[in-house]
Amino acid sequence: MTIKQFSKSFLAAFTGAAFLVGCGEDEPSVHPKDSDSQAFVSQYKAHSYHPVLIKNATILTATGEQIENGSVLLADGEIVEVGTDIDEPSDDNLEVIDAKGKWVTPGIIDVHSHLGVYPAPGVESSADGNEMTAPVTADVWAEHSVWPQDPQFQLALAGGVTSMQILPGSANLVGGRGVTLKNVVGRSVMDMKFPGAPYGLKMACGENPKRVYGGKGQAPMTRMGNVAGYRKSWIDAKEYMKSWDEYEAGMGNGKPPKRDLRLESLAGVLRGEILIQNHCYRADEMMVMMEIAKEFDFKVTTFHHAVESYKIADKLAENGVCSAMWSDWWGFKQEAYDMVPSNVALVDKAGACAVVHSDSATVIQHLNKEAAKAMASGNRLGMDITPAHAIKWITINAAKAIGVDEQTGSLEEGKMADVVLWDGNPFSVYTKAEKVFIDGALMYDRNNQFKQPVSDFGLTNMNQQ
Amino acid sequence: MTLLLKSLAILLVAATLSSANAEMILIKNAKVYTQTSAGNLENTDVLIEDGLIRNIGEDLSADDARVINAKGKVVTPGIFALMNQIGLVEVSAVEGTNDTATETEVLGASFSVDEVFNPESTLVPMNRAGGVTRTLIKPYNGNSLFAGLGSIMDLAGDYDPLIVSDVAVFAIYGEHAASMSGGSRAAALQYFNRAFSQAKEFSENSDAIKSGDYRELDLSMGDLETLSRVLDQDIPLVVNVNRANDILAVVDMAKKHNIKLVLAGAAEAWKVAEQLATADVAVIIDPMDNIPSFESLGKRYDNAALLTKAGVDVMFSSETHNAQNVRYAAGNAVAYGMPYDKALAAMTSTPAKVFGGASNYGKLMPGFKAELVIWSGDPLEVTTYAESVIIDGKLTDSDTRAKRLERRYKDISNDQNTFYRK
Repeated sequence: MTIKQFSKSFLAAFTGAAFLVGCGEDEPSVHPKDSDSQAFVSQYKAHSYHPVLIKNATILTATGEQIENGSVLLADGEIVEVGTDIDEPSDDNLEVIDAKGKWVTPGIIDVHSHLGVYPAPGVESSADGNEMTAPVTADVWAEHSVWPQDPQFQLALAGGVTSMQILPGSANLVGGRGVTLKNVVGRSVMDMKFPGAPYGLKMACGENPKRVYGGKGQAPMTRMGNVAGYRKSWIDAKEYMKSWDEYEAGMGNGKPPKRDLRLESLAGVLRGEILIQNHCYRADEMMVMMEIAKEFDFKVTTFHHAVESYKIADKLAENGVCSAMWSDWWGFKQEAYDMVPSNVALVDKAGACAVVHSDSATVIQHLNKEAAKAMASGNRLGMDITPAHAIKWITINAAKAIGVDEQTGSLEEGKMADVVLWDGNPFSVYTKAEKVFIDGALMYDRNNQFKQPVSDFGLTNMNQQ
Repeated sequence: MTLLLKSLAILLVAATLSSANAEMILIKNAKVYTQTSAGNLENTDVLIEDGLIRNIGEDLSADDARVINAKGKVVTPGIFALMNQIGLVEVSAVEGTNDTATETEVLGASFSVDEVFNPESTLVPMNRAGGVTRTLIKPYNGNSLFAGLGSIMDLAGDYDPLIVSDVAVFAIYGEHAASMSGGSRAAALQYFNRAFSQAKEFSENSDAIKSGDYRELDLSMGDLETLSRVLDQDIPLVVNVNRANDILAVVDMAKKHNIKLVLAGAAEAWKVAEQLATADVAVIIDPMDNIPSFESLGKRYDNAALLTKAGVDVMFSSETHNAQNVRYAAGNAVAYGMPYDKALAAMTSTPAKVFGGASNYGKLMPGFKAELVIWSGDPLEVTTYAESVIIDGKLTDSDTRAKRLERRYKDISNDQNTFYRK
């Protein structure tokens, strides 16, 4: 057995791959053949909590504003009001937080996480993120691997993360459905599922699928093999969708086609219900993936890792595709060689949707600082990016990249009250999340150990206060 | 190359360098974080000549000096990055570019990598532009619990990168060592005890052993020679170990063989901080790692703070491709209670003290090497960057492959066909 120096980032990169899957489970299904809607429905219930008024804060709304001495009022799980002139409601239950010197932002959203599917402790018997048994496993769903007791969820919470998309790994051309979770403790994954969030379908370009399968002497062994694999799958999916459409239209022999879990996921993408979350590093490969999307009439919602997005930022803007990126990871494999630290800023500057993601149980705790690094790298190139703008990379743009921007991601009236109170400027290395609210309920308080959730595994540590 | 030729070559290179060093640099009006009893000085000048810091003070002048206005900037010693593989690897997963480990059975403790350090790797300018001026490189464990020897290299990018060769032997203990030893920590511990006992035998009977008049020992001659240097306390043994009782086992083992010990990883070191302080054991930790495992259930962000409070010398490990990010890790340690100056020392003067070079590097004072960084602001802050990096008294090139790519593509959307220029 050997330890290779790249094991950590290499593994992370290997497991990380994104595709979009969308399929609103809690809505009545428009497609009777997609009987998914009856199973695995979100059981998430916002915790009830008294109304909270945070005042005297510096507020980044993620709509582009920085409000000084501002207030945010949260009640009944929603953001009621944001601004400088908020009247204190006369409510005996109201909690008023004086946030002088502190900052408020929307809850942080990570669009690329493997928490729960690669939980801590990182033992082989709990490593459930990559169904490396066939190049196209659109039938598997990450939520069926999520271990809700992964203690890493609480570490992310302490970093201000209120929602995240959990994705299968990137070993496969199509790795399966990802799921968006609220960062709350639950006895089942259904207790954590973000209500109404579309599914993501993870796809992977490049090195990983061809290494995994080519190494076994089977397809794909090359990038051209990868592309053939995607296209064959979409041809099958088109057929499948057609057979259901015909059945619905009363054509044929009146018997419903047999359900196929693999094709259901792919057809969900063709119907626009499931969002493609595509692990793809190289610019030229992203261009090819957008061609495939054109050929089969679907949309790539987000490229993940997207180390070379800066090379085609104009094309990404044109096609309305988001890029979820690191601030500076590079060099762990060939397709991650052309990193520039201004990637996020350059994509943003071109008018494309820029997101900072983690793909890491460590980085997810520091996404505010990753965004700060990306902001600073852009400003070094002569841009003038402010915190009011850069906060979007880890909030509203992230929400857009996974299809939940109507519900969360910015501090606007009527949205979910997913809010972080920081003990200073979140774009500083010294700043920590002090209080984290999810749907208006205080889920984490750094200064109150009774407001810090501990997973079942967290109880293992017998010798620590 | 024979040793003589090699020394001649080094002399020639040194002669060339010293003429170039005649350049004088005067840094004006900086905040100078000296890492000495002088502390952090405001509005202070630093005069550099012949590769050395000549003077630090207010209102310095020098007629021929190149003047750098550093008002509002911070000057610190260059970052001394630890335990990475800069120069040994270009793309981790591309085997041909990766010299970080050997599977060879005969090479353990004596596996040394300084001669394969490639000063033209893109990682050298990348990390240097980020403020790293020197690094302690180390190999990875192949088939031995001993990974091999670490060496201190500079990041100037020339063909003479070696600062000090073979400064420590690296080894692992804990879960991974157990699996390499047949499945039990106890077997790994026995292996270490046997290796050091035999190294002692080797020291005491080296003539007989070399002439073949002695029973055959388990380790190669090279490994035994290296381990006898450890037994002589000529160089420390750095053991990667995380669980508190594993740490104590290693401390006991080191005590038994009278070894100078340094710990790496050390996730639960805070639990036994008093014992480490008493035994004068320094630690190299990753202050960004708080993900629990069965051998590090007690991992926490304030490990650095608790160890420092107990009087333990704390240093930080770094990643190979982004070793410069160690300063953000230091910032995180400060956010979780480590005193600022200790965090800065952890990546400058503390490793110089533990691994060598403390007599001329790691502090800003007259007579010390001019190996320093001018930062745009607080060097631990995520929005700060290195503006100028000086090694051996000379401003280094701040270009990187990433910056070349940035220049090529930053205006791509309005300049479609002209970006393919160097």
